[in-house]
Amino acid sequence: MKIVGQKDVKLDKAFMEEVAKRSGENVFLCYQCRKCASGCPSRMFMDSTPTELMRYVQLGMVDEAMKTNTIWYCLSCQTCSARCPQDIDIAHVVDTIRILVQEKGIKADTKNMRLFNRLWMNILKYAGRMYELALTGMLNVFTGRPFKDMSLGIKMMRKGKLKLLPSIRKPFAMMKMFSRAKRLKK
Amino acid sequence: MKIAYYPGCSLHSTGVEYDISTKKVCAALGIELVEVEDWICCGASPAHQCDELMSVALPAKNLALAARTDNLKEICAPCASCYSRLKFAQERMTDENMRKNVEQIIGSEYPEGFKVLHMLDVIVEKTGTEAVKEKVVKSLNGLKVACYYGCLMTRPPKVTGKQQFENPTEMESLMEALGAETVDWNMKTFCCGASFALTQTDVVLKLTRKILADAVSAGAQAISVGCPLCHANLDGRQEQINKKFNTNFHIPIFYFTELMGLALGFEAKDLGIFKHLTEVEDFLKERALV
Ligand code: SF4
Ligand code: SF4
Repeated sequence: MKIVGQKDVKLDKAFMEEVAKRSGENVFLCYQCRKCASGCPSRMFMDSTPTELMRYVQLGMVDEAMKTNTIWYCLSCQTCSARCPQDIDIAHVVDTIRILVQEKGIKADTKNMRLFNRLWMNILKYAGRMYELALTGMLNVFTGRPFKDMSLGIKMMRKGKLKLLPSIRKPFAMMKMFSRAKRLKK
Repeated sequence: MKIAYYPGCSLHSTGVEYDISTKKVCAALGIELVEVEDWICCGASPAHQCDELMSVALPAKNLALAARTDNLKEICAPCASCYSRLKFAQERMTDENMRKNVEQIIGSEYPEGFKVLHMLDVIVEKTGTEAVKEKVVKSLNGLKVACYYGCLMTRPPKVTGKQQFENPTEMESLMEALGAETVDWNMKTFCCGASFALTQTDVVLKLTRKILADAVSAGAQAISVGCPLCHANLDGRQEQINKKFNTNFHIPIFYFTELMGLALGFEAKDLGIFKHLTEVEDFLKERALV
């Protein structure tokens, strides 16, 4: 951990409790064995390792946990959760922090993930099923790389691997589900 | 055997050949797949990282729809990600509060005790490799295959119930029944970066390259997979990887159902194999599999 000895670390007990409560994971059981960090395929891209992230949560180091790129580089591969000797579902803890960051609208290094999530969920809300062309198209346009993966996309289309039109399933039932969920979360 | 079938979005688009070959081999083995009527997306990659409630409600809705289909008690998904979301939903629904909320969202009762299986489980556990072997008419003839499981077919064991989650061997036993040889390699459960394919493609290229390199150095002539997201990365990104890292990969990536189909005597074109982005025609011709 790089911040040891630093004086201006913000400690927020409410953050620690919220993560523990919402994830339902007993984050306090982590004894920093580093098994999660050593098996993580994405650790070379992360500011802090998953082990360090767990410590941030235990100590309530809210900025380090929420604003660094660590949570956004987690691939949800479940390696850490499968191996933790303390039976903590670390990937679930990561998901919980991501949700908090998105709900609170915190500015963070999200590398387009937030946009990806929002676009996909919106397609579901209105169509019920994924519509890949719309997702990639909008993602590329909104991130300013309109031609990303273009030749790959054309190849896929030629092979009949991309639907040209969305397959819409019970849109009203879907919208109802989403609005009920929204109400419940309030 | 009759079982509810949840194809999921990918099998209607990028993984369409997985859908085609799955249906073919199941029919040949006497497994009746009943597609869940009006199924919806399971929420795959985004739901669990932005909306916990919906990440459980979407798969739960599909289970509720499946329960209405012919009174079935088992459901199978060929996509590892769908399989994982269905399994996770079942685990999260053991929480009283979650269950109450989700039932309210989906507007119906949640069916208890459904059995969720990955397509590979249906073939290896329920049908058995012996039964498959009896139907083989065209042996794969010692083709060297690396069996790739990726993340979600086995992990986390708390959710999947898999004993051998670090070194699974079901796909190997199936490939051997088809007459293939399997190789020992290190990356069979390593992540290909699936959920980052659109947002952080560089990560995917790096991880996928490791997997391809390990398979090749272990002597594999082909890789067998059981997930449309893994397939899209391993099959579709080889050209980009070669360009970026100055490598020279050209290794065919098959769905395990495609290799089964070939061994059971189906034509490659009827299994959708030519939809792959890494060309396989010459490869199959050389081995008299087409
Ligand atoms: S594997 Fe578990 S106990 Fe070990 S450092 Fe990671 S979270 Fe903590
Ligand atoms: S789930 Fe995320 S944190 Fe855990 S090992 Fe995989 S990439 Fe790393």
